[in-house]
Amino acid sequence: MENTGCHEDWKSCFSEIAPGLLLFARQWVRSAADAEDIVQEAFVKFWRRNHDIKNRALLYAAVRSLALDFVRRDSRRARREAGARAEADEFVEPHFEFDDEAQLALAQAVDLLPREQREVLVMKIWNELTFVEIAKVLGISQNTAASRYRYALLALKRMLQPQ
Amino acid sequence: MSDLSEIENELRKLRPVQPSPILLERVAEAIGGPDPQAAFAGRSSAAARVFRNWLSLGAGLAAAAILLLLTVMKMGDGKRFVKEVSSISPGRETERASAARSETGSMAESTLRSRFLPAGATRVVYDARDEGLQFVAGSAQPLRRLRYQARQTLQWRDPATGASIRVSYPSEEVLLLPVSGQ
Repeated sequence: MENTGCHEDWKSCFSEIAPGLLLFARQWVRSAADAEDIVQEAFVKFWRRNHDIKNRALLYAAVRSLALDFVRRDSRRARREAGARAEADEFVEPHFEFDDEAQLALAQAVDLLPREQREVLVMKIWNELTFVEIAKVLGISQNTAASRYRYALLALKRMLQPQ
Repeated sequence: MSDLSEIENELRKLRPVQPSPILLERVAEAIGGPDPQAAFAGRSSAAARVFRNWLSLGAGLAAAAILLLLTVMKMGDGKRFVKEVSSISPGRETERASAARSETGSMAESTLRSRFLPAGATRVVYDARDEGLQFVAGSAQPLRRLRYQARQTLQWRDPATGASIRVSYPSEEVLLLPVSGQ
C-alpha cells in the first residue's frame, strides 16, 4: 500500500485503504454498517485534526478505539447476541470475497483465531502495516506483534492441514 | 518459514469485502463541501479551523434554539386547540382539521424527500421450543408446534445525509408442521 501523494487526494487514498480499515473495524463489530460508521468517524476525525495520512498507526488506533467504544456502548446488545449466537440463525455478512472453497475455508479459519492474533494478522496482511506501526496501534512491543503474527500463521497452517 | 510464506500468500489472495458505494459520499459530506478534494492539498491554517469550528458550533446552537422555540410554540398551540374544540362550531372544527391534515401532508412529503434505503437486517433467535404434537380441530393429521422467539433489527440509511434509522423489536413465531406417519 503506497501512501505517496495520498495527502493530495484523500478520495483515492480513502478508497484504497477503506476495505482494509473496514475489515479491521469488523474484528470488533459484527455489522458491516456499524463498521462503516466507525471507519467514517475515525477517518473524518483524523482528517480534521490535520494528521499526516502517512501516520497510519494513528488512524488504525483511532478506528480501534472507536470500535471498542462502540462495543462498550452496545455491550448489553452484544451480550444478548453473543448468548444467542450459538443457537441463532443470525445472518453475518462475510468479511471476504471468495473465489473458491479453499478461500472460504481459509477465511473461516481466520475467524477462529484469537482476537489478539487476528487483529495483528489483519493489519499486517490486508493493511500492510509494519510491525513497528502495529506495535504502536496496539501499545505492545514490536517483538510481541511479530510473535502474535507468527502464532497466527502457525495456527492457520495447523487448522488447514488435511487430517 | 517457507511454509508460512505459502500461507501468507494464500491470505493475500483473499480480498476484503468492498465498502458500500455511499461510504465515500458520506465521508465527503462529513468532511464538508461537495468537493473537499482540494482540502488535503490546501490545508487551512489552525486559526481558520478554530474559527470554522466555532462558526459551526454557533450555527448548531442557533438551529437547536429555533427548533426548541418552534416546539414550545407548537405545544402552546396544541393546548389552545384542545380548549377551543369544546366551544367551536362544526364549521371551524372542519377548518382546523383540514389545517392539521395539510400539516401532516407536508410532514409526509418531507419524509418522502429523504431517501432512506435499506442498509441491513438481522434476526437473532433467542429461544426455539418444540411444543410437541398437537391435534387441531378439523385436521386429520397431527401437527408439530414449534415456537421461536427472536429479535429483528432493521436498518435504513439516507445516502445523502448519512442519517440512519434502526428499528429493533422482539417477535414470536409459531410454526405448525404437518406430521405424517409411515
